[in-house]
Amino acid sequence: MADARISPHALPDLKSTTDDALANYLRSLHFRQHHAKLDVRLALGYLGVAIAAATFAADYRLGWDATKRWTAVAVCAYAVVNGGFSWWIWQVEGGCVFEGVRGGKKISIASKTNKHDPTYHLAVTDAAGATREVQAPFTAWFTADGFFVARPFQQWLARSVGAIGEADAKNAASDAGGSEGGEIAAESEGFATGSGEAGGVETKGKGGKRLKRKG
Amino acid sequence: MFGSLATLQPRQLAAQVLNFALVLSTAFMLWKGLSVFTDSSSPIVVVLSGSMEPAFQRGDLLFLWNRGQETQVGEVVVYNVRGKDIPIVHRVIRRFGGGSAPLQLLTKGDNNAADDTELYARGQSYLDRSQDIVGSVVGYVPFVGYVTILLSEYPWLKTAMLIFMALTVVLQRE
Repeated sequence: MADARISPHALPDLKSTTDDALANYLRSLHFRQHHAKLDVRLALGYLGVAIAAATFAADYRLGWDATKRWTAVAVCAYAVVNGGFSWWIWQVEGGCVFEGVRGGKKISIASKTNKHDPTYHLAVTDAAGATREVQAPFTAWFTADGFFVARPFQQWLARSVGAIGEADAKNAASDAGGSEGGEIAAESEGFATGSGEAGGVETKGKGGKRLKRKG
Repeated sequence: MFGSLATLQPRQLAAQVLNFALVLSTAFMLWKGLSVFTDSSSPIVVVLSGSMEPAFQRGDLLFLWNRGQETQVGEVVVYNVRGKDIPIVHRVIRRFGGGSAPLQLLTKGDNNAADDTELYARGQSYLDRSQDIVGSVVGYVPFVGYVTILLSEYPWLKTAMLIFMALTVVLQRE
């Protein structure tokens, strides 16, 4: 996961890499993921594709005149299914990137980014239905050349979200050096971790430049 | 390039493939929807020859409408020769019947010396409005259709375009 490099200027890439990492991290903490929303989306989508495929097959075999009426019906059906599909993505999914249960407690996480703003916003809904919003800049867990670093991301999650912190005490308790938003932990094979490194040090290590946060 | 796909969960991979499948399906259904709306089997055609110059040039894109049953002399129609799949765009120069009798049409290309009797199937001397006509031309866009001509003359272009589109959509995560 940390091996893949993305463009650090492409907001969609940043968001989708972070979303994937979030899901992977939570699954590794034994949150059991619920796929209901994604399943409905897949079902609606592939139903539409099936309608289109059937229409194509009928038209190919029987020609235009014989299938005119059924094609009209199919076009209307497709419009309805596709409309439902779009509505599902827009309204119901609403940016949801993870839904799952751990220890009997349900958690639901939606993410979003605003245009031209490299900040990752999370809306976490717990079992009681209360929603909390947390955010952090992408610079906290991406290097300047676009490598994702898991550790600071996990630390931020564990500290910001109660349910995750309970599941991962180690990351929740770790000292991340104080500044809000965080600098990237000085991660590299062989270097001791310790985001306690003073922000003024710029080490030339293997694997990309590290991002320094000033002030 | 495909590394990003390898790290996906099966459901997410299905979602990415779905994106591409929906692009194709929506394009196809829009085409069929237009067909239903215009009542024409091929509501948009490309001019393939120069037989209608100077009105239409090779590569022009034509928009058809097939719901007007009383085709008049002077209208430009698109028809398929019986037994062949090539659409021909020519002007109506004579009509027989109409009203309660079935309408029959004789056509001729503006740039041709003779009428289309030679082009029709053997034993056929006129076109049947209800059977042979794909639609009347109601509008056109010049030159845009050249892409289609290229695609049909170099079929590998079609495959290349499709593969390129597929890669772009499936690898994109937005």
